[in-house]
Amino acid sequence: MSPLDNTRLPKKVVLTGSDCFHLVLDRHARNNRAGSNVMRIVFYFNSQLSLDKIKDSLGNSPLIHWLCNIRLRQGSLFGTAFWEYQDKGNGIILIEHHHPVSGEIPKSILERDIPLDEERFVNGDIIHYPFNKTVFVLSWNHILMDGRGIAMLIQHLSGMDKAKNRQEVNSFFPTQEKSTGLFAHIRNMYRVKKFIETSSKNPIASVAGQGQKEGKRDRSFHNRIIRFTPEETGRINRLAIRKGAKFGANLYYLSCCIHAVNRLYQQKAKNGAQWIPVPYDGRLRGSKGPIITNTVAFLFYRVQGAEMGSIEQTIAALSSQMTSQIDSGMPQQYGLLLNMMRHIPIWLYYFLITKGRGGSVASFLYSSTGEGFNHIETFFGEPVVGLTIYPSPTFPPGLTFSFLKHQEALNINIAYATGIIDTFEISDLELGIKELLLDSNE
Amino acid sequence: MESPLIAAEIKTFIQTNILASHIQLDMETNLQDAGIDSFSIVEIILFIQRKYQIVIPDDQLLPENFKTLQTLARMVSALTA
Repeated sequence: MSPLDNTRLPKKVVLTGSDCFHLVLDRHARNNRAGSNVMRIVFYFNSQLSLDKIKDSLGNSPLIHWLCNIRLRQGSLFGTAFWEYQDKGNGIILIEHHHPVSGEIPKSILERDIPLDEERFVNGDIIHYPFNKTVFVLSWNHILMDGRGIAMLIQHLSGMDKAKNRQEVNSFFPTQEKSTGLFAHIRNMYRVKKFIETSSKNPIASVAGQGQKEGKRDRSFHNRIIRFTPEETGRINRLAIRKGAKFGANLYYLSCCIHAVNRLYQQKAKNGAQWIPVPYDGRLRGSKGPIITNTVAFLFYRVQGAEMGSIEQTIAALSSQMTSQIDSGMPQQYGLLLNMMRHIPIWLYYFLITKGRGGSVASFLYSSTGEGFNHIETFFGEPVVGLTIYPSPTFPPGLTFSFLKHQEALNINIAYATGIIDTFEISDLELGIKELLLDSNE
Repeated sequence: MESPLIAAEIKTFIQTNILASHIQLDMETNLQDAGIDSFSIVEIILFIQRKYQIVIPDDQLLPENFKTLQTLARMVSALTA
């Protein structure tokens, strides 16, 4: 049994609208045996880590304890799904591995699922390599935590935030939602539905293609990681400002992805606009919670061929759409729409999402953790020499870019389904993004 | 319009709508270090344009003008003069 006072942990946590959307994605992955909804964060060390030390450290966290002692309960008709906590004394499962290729993550870890009938929604792997190098992999089901949530969880585990009192433990979990009037809900739903329909209208180019039968595709996922040095990252940041992304490199990263993917479309003779949903953190900036639940809405960017003439043009187009959507309160309205949708029975929700759009979910998926992991220096008391996030392998679209900055060095983890992008194409894409970000022609 | 008054109004907006309550801002606080990201900058720009009935020209949309409350207030004060 954990030595913690677990009586403070909530017995019931209701899923947010965004969590329920992930529940539907999870169902889709399972029904199509394609990808999964599991995310992983990988810490690289130039030292040996002891299993006991990690076990002790994680065992002292009330949050890890909660994540290992919950069951997903589907709500009754028009009720909402929720997490039910029952202290069974489950600890986190940690598996130790020995691997000959330094830094490589064994496939058995990357392909391991965390199904919804589990009681533990987080698990860990320690991989020992030659020359005293070690990697720690923390995996979790995306239904429980988003990227910002995991950044706060790591802060909490690093001892930066010591959860010693009731208020801090409570801050890990979502507070009670403000109620919204029915008319406001209906108005929001109408506006958001109309916006998304207009923004995502065909033709949209997608690497997965449109209306094609998914059954024949190879659904196995692979990853490519592009690593930049701090000097290269500094150059990328300066280029971002010069090319019009004046308040953060995010739009520059996204524009480079759009251009690299566009080159791929041209090779495949595909046409159409690109439609990309980008997560928008709904928490107040600098907040320490909630860690549990997905607290994100989305901005939806539609980039036409004419706006892909240059990176500067694409940034200008994205910037204008971002301003317009924030100005009209679209992310908040989208959040309300998702909250409303969770009252629909999950099978109906699944039907509505998967049947209405001819298989095109997005051109690709994109996320950036911003400064969330940049300043992590140690974990379990050991210096961290590298850090990357493996995004959940979502299919369709079967292509996800995850940007992470650690100790001023940028890395990009590209998750791709081999059924839609082959080895040569992914190598081209990798090279293209690197060239675009560093503006190698300059 | 006086720069200190503008700074106070922008500070109230940021603390009410963007930042968590435990984060304190003063005139010299680096806004990025306080947690202000690119989405938040857009919210601040929209607030300023609505509140002071001005359009911030492209040549003023510079990272150095959005560094602290002081630099923000100085820019708005010059634009409203």
